[in-house]
Amino acid sequence: MDTIVNDFTMNIATANGTGSQSANLILLHTMFEMGVPVSGKNLFPSNISGLPTWYIVRASEAGYQAPGDRTHIQVLMNKATWEKDLASIEPGTVIIYNSDVKMPVELDDVIAYPIPMTKMARTLNPKLARMIANMIYVGVLAELLGLDQAILEKAVAKQFKGKAAAIELNVNASNMGREYFRENFEKEDPYCIEARERSPDDFLIEGNEAVALGSIFGGVTMLSWYPITPSSSVAEGIISYLPELRTDSDGKMTCAVIQAEDELAAAGMVVGAGWSGGRGMTCTSGPGISLMSEFIGLAYFAEIPGVIWDINRVGPSTGLPTRTQQGDVSLLYEASHGDTQHIVLFPGTIEECFEYGWRAFDYAEYYQTVVFGFGDLDLGMNRWICKGFEYPEKMNRGKVIHTKEELERIGNFGRYRDLDGDGICYRTLPGSGLEPILYRGTGHDEDGIYSESPSVYVDNMERLKRKIDGARTELPQPVLREEVEQEVGIIYFGSMENTIQEIDDQLEETGRKVSQCRVRALPLSPVVEEFVSNHETVIVLEINRDGQMYGILRKELPIELVSRVYSVSFSDGIPPRARVYTDKILEKLEEVGA
Amino acid sequence: MTIKLNIIELPKDDYKGGPSSLCPGCGHDQISKVIIDAAWENGIAPEQIAKMSGIGCSSKTPAYFLGKSHGFNTVHGRMPSVTTGANVTNRDMQFIAVSGDGDTASIGIGQFVHAIRRNLNMVYIIENNGVYGLTKGQYSATVEKGSAKRKAEANEQAPIDLCAMAINLGCTFVARSFSGAKKQLTSLMRAAMSHRGTAIIDVISPCVTFSNNDESFKSYGYVKDNDVELHSYDYIPHFTPLEEVDIPEGKYQDIALFDGSTLRLETVGSNHDPSDAVGALSQIHKAEIEKKHVTGLLYYNNEPKTLDEWLDLSETPLANLNEDELRPTKADLDSLMSEFRS
Repeated sequence: MDTIVNDFTMNIATANGTGSQSANLILLHTMFEMGVPVSGKNLFPSNISGLPTWYIVRASEAGYQAPGDRTHIQVLMNKATWEKDLASIEPGTVIIYNSDVKMPVELDDVIAYPIPMTKMARTLNPKLARMIANMIYVGVLAELLGLDQAILEKAVAKQFKGKAAAIELNVNASNMGREYFRENFEKEDPYCIEARERSPDDFLIEGNEAVALGSIFGGVTMLSWYPITPSSSVAEGIISYLPELRTDSDGKMTCAVIQAEDELAAAGMVVGAGWSGGRGMTCTSGPGISLMSEFIGLAYFAEIPGVIWDINRVGPSTGLPTRTQQGDVSLLYEASHGDTQHIVLFPGTIEECFEYGWRAFDYAEYYQTVVFGFGDLDLGMNRWICKGFEYPEKMNRGKVIHTKEELERIGNFGRYRDLDGDGICYRTLPGSGLEPILYRGTGHDEDGIYSESPSVYVDNMERLKRKIDGARTELPQPVLREEVEQEVGIIYFGSMENTIQEIDDQLEETGRKVSQCRVRALPLSPVVEEFVSNHETVIVLEINRDGQMYGILRKELPIELVSRVYSVSFSDGIPPRARVYTDKILEKLEEVGA
Repeated sequence: MTIKLNIIELPKDDYKGGPSSLCPGCGHDQISKVIIDAAWENGIAPEQIAKMSGIGCSSKTPAYFLGKSHGFNTVHGRMPSVTTGANVTNRDMQFIAVSGDGDTASIGIGQFVHAIRRNLNMVYIIENNGVYGLTKGQYSATVEKGSAKRKAEANEQAPIDLCAMAINLGCTFVARSFSGAKKQLTSLMRAAMSHRGTAIIDVISPCVTFSNNDESFKSYGYVKDNDVELHSYDYIPHFTPLEEVDIPEGKYQDIALFDGSTLRLETVGSNHDPSDAVGALSQIHKAEIEKKHVTGLLYYNNEPKTLDEWLDLSETPLANLNEDELRPTKADLDSLMSEFRS
């Protein structure tokens, strides 16, 4: 039998709250430390304990990070999903199962390794048997696949943060799993892991933690937040790093953190912080954005800087709260009533999560408006291989007047007077004693005085449009990978970056060479229009039902280009699997005769 | 004629605002005047004040006072959260906030509650008339059972008493007053401005257009006849030596305020001690049963920490920190990453 090295997908079915996440992360880190390109996806329920959870680990020499098209190794720990998990198994699959669950595995075309994990775990510690059983399957997998025990033990130590008793117990459990496999089975399957040279710069980190660190290095001065999955770990990340990174010489905090009473208040605090000269931020998910919308409109119209991270989950309503989607794109771009338009940043890589974490504040203060960071559960809550973070560029605090001399130099100051022709006006801060005004969400003239004059309103709204349009060329520009043929182009954004290479390879196998344009911000860069005009057929690929980015493109592209743009959008809550989208792209291309 | 100056040598004109667009005779305009007087007499620099408000008749008034202060007329019921963000960003500012009974007791009650819970350092004035004026006179949640606005059936729902609520929440300064009682209101306003923590002043402020009829418990006539004053007040600013002030003849109690000023309480009708929360609640409930309004300083406690104190924020307001103070160093980032890589 030929061996299959570093190229397979494992699915681990457990119950939530049994400590399986620790075991799975140890497995992931061990493979990563061995230099194997690996990705892990946690499919968890909205529940603290008991409901089913799955963890997908994919090793891919090609560096594919999406969940694979099929499962090669299935670990069964959870009685509740046992039958369903087995039902979707393809012939030849390896099944490692806890035989103490007393559930049958009546398939004859699979390679089954029954292990009495609970009994074995009880011999180590009866009280913690349910949790330790998870480390037994890690040990079994380690033996089966040829994982390095020293590296595995290092991963255990890291996971349990040096707690000696926990480390010993878990290491023992993994060894017990290894021994049981050695003594009871002959390896009958082809799957194995071989060490590769690992770049010493790489490490694994979650997107939300990268956003948190980016925000701290961006000089956040106030974080207001209301807990909501999958964004809470952005806030908790900031909170955990603040004592180390953000105290002054007297040991006092240079960033305030307030757990708000709701998302409305969280947004209000961001507005208050930005109004008085701070760098305020909040993080939330779709339901929170809905609640914050009133304040988002105020910030747009009164021109208050602020940063809001939306870590997207599946909507509408409570939706699938622990699953991933790109479903808030149109919501963010035009959040709030009346005519509004907001800057949205779409990190597609873990490095960009950090970078946009700090850049968001510069854009917010420069454009004096709300800037959204757009993540999703997949990018935010799974661990990704990171090459390292670049130290930020010099801060841009925007057009703030601090002294009388500056005020005199610019001349003819008015809070909403466009002196530079870029739509961006100068502002003074409360406490400065300079040109105070009463900020308001009502109509206002160039001096900030209440006005219902039609022409004043129109001039103001046109200036706001000009201001945000000016950002099109200044925000992160699209990343292009253009083919010579320029027949088909794909526009995509955000976490789809982690699936696009595999989609591209699958399309190429069918003879299709496609160019790619990864959008990194709204409003759209003119480069996107150029990309569309350079290709005969353009697909907008996204993780939602209705093609929200496609809708924005249709609205903003010149009419003669609209007819060549098509939407391929799909969302089922699972991180995008390449095959699903490849097939839909091929279908669409066939349908339109491209 | 010489122009009278305050302790920081500013004329009162420096504390005035634009002309009011409220109905002539509106109680809110009286309160604006008291805010101007109190800030001027206390000698607070206008640029150190931030005027905050929500939406409604009352929330329009920051345009009519303190024209040299920055202000923010925010959204309906959400003034406290904006004030919270501004407060932690610039803890040196004095926040004077105006809201109404609709703004606070209905749409904004959650934010009212949580501002108090955090002991946000602000003066929170509720201009309370029992109706939504700007949308033409609908009842608000503070209207008393049995009280009737003009040409309408009496209200039958139980009212929300914002002072009782504030006391129950541990608010550190709770007062009720009346826009027609200028002396009392000015003393309480000045004391509130000298307080550190959330100072609530619930000011009954008759709506001359929709509920100034005799059947309304918040009409001028009704309040004048049914006002139960707890004490008479004398505010003695920190820059006036206490020993130079005449000692009153009867019983009195001095309350030492955060900035060194004193609020002198002279007993009028009762022996209410403002440190007694239960006593304050009894006074409110008694007045409610008797269909009266109890006014004065109901509760005071200067001990709890304010939000910015328990957050242990930098002495320099966060708004004034520069890039070097806000951004960790390159070495910090490098050391983090080597930790991640280990």
